[in-house]
Amino acid sequence: MSKTAQQIKNAAKLKKRIRTVIHNGLLAVISFFWLIPIFWLIASAFNTDRGVNIRQFFPTTWTLDNFYQLFFQTDSVANFPRWFLNTLTVAVFACIISSLFVLMVSYTMSRLRFNMRKPLMNVGIILGLFPGVLSMIAIYFILKSLGLTDSLLALIIVYSASSGLGYLVAKGFFDTIPKSLDEAARIDGATQWDVFWRIIIPLSRPIIVYTVLLAFLAPWVDFVFANIIMTSRDTNKFTVAIGLYNMLDRNLVNNYFSLFTAGAVVVSIPISVLFIFMQKFYVEGVTGGSVKG
Amino acid sequence: MKKLFSLMLVLISVFGLAACQPKEEALEEVSLTVWASELDQTLMQTMIESFKEAYKDEAIFTITLGAVSEATAKDQVLNDIEAAADVFAFADDQINELYVAGALQEVQENTAEVIAANGGAEAGAIKAATKNGKLYAYPMTADNGYFLFYDKSVYSENDVKTLDGILAKAQADGSKFTMQINNGWYLYSFFAGAGLQLTYNGTVNSANWNNATGVKVTESIIRMATHPGYINLNDAGFVSGVKDGSVSAGVNGVWNATEAQNKWGANYAATKLPTYTLDGQQVQMSSFAGYKLMGVNALTLQPYWAMKLAEWFTNEDNQILRFQERGLGPSNVNAANSTEVKASPAISALAQQGAFATVQNVGGNYWSPTETFGNMIVNAELTLQGNIQEALNIMVQGIVAQPIG
Amino acid sequence: MHILQHLNRYLVKKLKQLTIQIHSLGSKMKKGFLNLFQDFRFGDIYVKLSLLFMGIGFFRRHQIIKGILFSILQIGFILFLIFTGIPNLSKYNTLGTIQFESVYNPITRRNEVNDYDHSFKILLYGLISIIVIFTYVYIHLKNIQTQRKLQLLEEKGVHINTFKEDLIELKDNRFHVTLLTFPVSGIIFFTIIPLLFMILVAFTNYDQLHMPPTKLFTWVGFRNFEILLTTGSNTVTFGYAFRKVLTWTLTWAFFATFLNYIGGIVLALLINSKYTKVPKLWRTIFVITIAVPQFVSLLLVRHFFADQGIMNTLLSADIPFLNDYSWIDFIRQMGLIKANREFVPFLTDPVWSKVMLILINCWIGFPYVMLITTGVLMNIPKDLYESAEIDGANKFQLFAKITMPYMLFVTAPYLITNFVHNLNNFNVIYLLTSTRVTSNQLLANANASDTDLLVTWLFKLTQDYYNYKMASVIGIMMFLLSAIFTLLAFNYTIKSNKEDRFQ
Repeated sequence: MSKTAQQIKNAAKLKKRIRTVIHNGLLAVISFFWLIPIFWLIASAFNTDRGVNIRQFFPTTWTLDNFYQLFFQTDSVANFPRWFLNTLTVAVFACIISSLFVLMVSYTMSRLRFNMRKPLMNVGIILGLFPGVLSMIAIYFILKSLGLTDSLLALIIVYSASSGLGYLVAKGFFDTIPKSLDEAARIDGATQWDVFWRIIIPLSRPIIVYTVLLAFLAPWVDFVFANIIMTSRDTNKFTVAIGLYNMLDRNLVNNYFSLFTAGAVVVSIPISVLFIFMQKFYVEGVTGGSVKG
Repeated sequence: MKKLFSLMLVLISVFGLAACQPKEEALEEVSLTVWASELDQTLMQTMIESFKEAYKDEAIFTITLGAVSEATAKDQVLNDIEAAADVFAFADDQINELYVAGALQEVQENTAEVIAANGGAEAGAIKAATKNGKLYAYPMTADNGYFLFYDKSVYSENDVKTLDGILAKAQADGSKFTMQINNGWYLYSFFAGAGLQLTYNGTVNSANWNNATGVKVTESIIRMATHPGYINLNDAGFVSGVKDGSVSAGVNGVWNATEAQNKWGANYAATKLPTYTLDGQQVQMSSFAGYKLMGVNALTLQPYWAMKLAEWFTNEDNQILRFQERGLGPSNVNAANSTEVKASPAISALAQQGAFATVQNVGGNYWSPTETFGNMIVNAELTLQGNIQEALNIMVQGIVAQPIG
Repeated sequence: MHILQHLNRYLVKKLKQLTIQIHSLGSKMKKGFLNLFQDFRFGDIYVKLSLLFMGIGFFRRHQIIKGILFSILQIGFILFLIFTGIPNLSKYNTLGTIQFESVYNPITRRNEVNDYDHSFKILLYGLISIIVIFTYVYIHLKNIQTQRKLQLLEEKGVHINTFKEDLIELKDNRFHVTLLTFPVSGIIFFTIIPLLFMILVAFTNYDQLHMPPTKLFTWVGFRNFEILLTTGSNTVTFGYAFRKVLTWTLTWAFFATFLNYIGGIVLALLINSKYTKVPKLWRTIFVITIAVPQFVSLLLVRHFFADQGIMNTLLSADIPFLNDYSWIDFIRQMGLIKANREFVPFLTDPVWSKVMLILINCWIGFPYVMLITTGVLMNIPKDLYESAEIDGANKFQLFAKITMPYMLFVTAPYLITNFVHNLNNFNVIYLLTSTRVTSNQLLANANASDTDLLVTWLFKLTQDYYNYKMASVIGIMMFLLSAIFTLLAFNYTIKSNKEDRFQ
């Protein structure tokens, strides 16, 4: 190779290396700043000081006590194991019902044709424009007249009853499945029922997983509705969200902040993992659509 | 005919005898719910057990205990009065809203005894629990007010008599004195101390804080707020400040006094509020007397037993127990006169301040405007050169506003 | 004036469309009634009788089970009317007149309560009754149509379904009914009815002084709307607060949406660039910050930036190499905080808190946009880039003419929904500033704060001040706001569909 060609090649390599360093370095710096609060969360969970540590970023003394207390020394304020169980129960049932509702509605809107289809879709959009927190007290009262307040059953109902309104994403997915499959099956004598259960559902793995995970995660992060429904203030009936949120109450924060961070770490890990899975399936569902041709 | 008649006679006598037979008195089954502070749960459970024991011959009790902070009891109760506990503890500043919403059951069992035990009809505790001349709650503690506590190694007894003295010493020492002014609770001390009025007639407040004296009072507050020895802190900030040593004196209540005690140890001292300079004169700061009360839910299905339970929680023995376990000052006069109680610095400070304290009787519209007014001073948005009169006018306008609707 | 003209033209067009729709609805209804009348007129005796007894027609046509079911339905409805419908609807004009009274009887040890009116229950059960009545009347009248159809089928000798056959049809031709029954009932009971109820509350005086069961509330017409939309009300300033809160809501939504959009795209490009190693790692790191539940991360950040929080403590340390001159002194010299401050009021000062809110929202917003746009970026056909490069386009032209338009097209719906979502972004604002005190007295008198969105103001009014009536009015305003933006935005994107341009 001639000298100038070699020089050009070297220059190009150098340019590439500089670019690589800049890109990755920039990302590293940005990621660092992005994760600072998370570092603080994890660090505070190991702090011996019970209150909010404001003097130093990292604790002066490290301990595993907070986690121990979280699980094994429950008191009138903190009963984490019970909260975890409560929330898990609610989440599992709400998830099953919600997913069924969402899939049923989105399939109907996507594949079936009937008179009220367009009006129902419009009503769905309009309902979505109202703020959810507005109807809290009315929902509370309806539950009360059914005698259901202060129970986990009430929470399950609240989280799953109106889930049908969230049909848009799943509908989008169903729209990508060709109608030819349906028609072929119906010519062979299948009813709509068969088409739904035997053909479409097995093809919809990504969107089903996405829907299930989305419904599963909701009860873990809601601190508004759950707080209103648990009227007896019996801490044993709380969910994780209410319990942790309560710990930061003015009267309690000085004694419970590091417990809060410990609980937050424990609950964030599974939620984060599930969330990352969910994103993967969402992307697969939206960009993939597993039926070609 | 005769046979029928005698048969009937036999039947009647058999049934009659059966009815007269002394039946085993079935004990009434009573179910009650109680709400008390999260920090009081074990204590309350002990009292519940002793109550069940004391009345075990009269009924079978199922009493459930829930955790609700006394400061937010009103919110929980008013969310749904029917679903709220039968007996609940609350701070006396909430009695107005609870009463207006009809949530409190009038005390109609042993009323005279309760009043006498807590110092008579003119005592602060009873006045705090009385609305329209009737008693609506049982006084539980008498130390929910605020007082001054300080680090003896920084201040002498003479220093803490006046606000100026405190501030000067704090500045010299490099530490701070704190008294939260963006809070209507503490702001009251300055205005009421100067003799200004704040009253509540059951629907609206009335206040004359925006007259010429009010302007002078505000100037004094601003002078304190801008003094290098002063810092404005809320409860959480106060605790952090004490813990890390930056706060050497402050005006606060018993609930944070333990932090100060832990930090200053033997150097912990408490006394009444100081005097402040108003137009060249020394004026004693007033304060809100604070009480914690036990209320009975007006919609309870067991008014008799709920009242008995509330009375039990607040009787002399249990108030002494509460003092021993949690250091909370009793409202019961006998309990308060014991040497143990009198020896507590916080409680004697409150007693001293009691001469200048008024029972809290304000309507809901008092809090937001005063909070904001104080905030304006803290943020230096209202200065000595600013339009103090106008700010006062807007604050008073908010305080005396009619509730909408 | 340009934009107002557009708005005017748009509204005129929409109103015209609406009138046409109402007309067609009206004529459809007219036709429906005409058909009903004809069915009745030409029907046999059983059709006529089913006006009174729903089940009778079915018995005649040998659909016994259906007959029984419909008769039970009818009886159920009548019972409902007697026990719930009539007692509540009769009091609807006043929402109750008998005040709660309770007298303690020391002898019985019970409270004697009068037969009081419970305004809330009257309003709610009355509403449910109205809906039930309308539904039932519809079913009842539709039944006549069904009977006529059955009669015709019978006359023609066509087979009439047995019950079993009807069930089978639910799996096939009427599958949508099967699938929709439960979800739609859930929505009716837990979304529609509560919403209608709250809309009705906006016309009452239900607030802290009128709380059932101990107090009554009643209708007040449009007075609450008046309070909110005018500043006529002299002592308490809801009108002022409404305008301020609305302004901030719109400002916030605008900045939150667009800053996140741009930031997310930049981040996605950075990660997707060919010079970046381990893109999956970088992506996971950013996803972690949004995977942590918001009530944890935001509450934590609130303490992080508190007035006496860790951030301020770090800032009060001296700048390296400078003695006795901390970061806070520096910030003070820049004029960004007031002279007597010793800390930066990140979340308490009106201006600082607004800026911080937007920045913190970026912290949890960038990763979301990055995820979505990454998927889109990876799907842009590479040959587009190649052919453009062959034609001599440079990097910026590639970005501006290919990447951005494609991205905008695909993510336009997301932008719109995100904007509307930010209008109602409860979590971020509430978790970060719910404990904030305002120094704006006029706002404070209406229980609002400088950083409140309409939704957090609404929440505060219901939870802390029980001012349900004003909260409902604000809720209606929020709906109108969201609806206007959604309609405007969808109209715009459909009109300017540039799909063919880059296909």
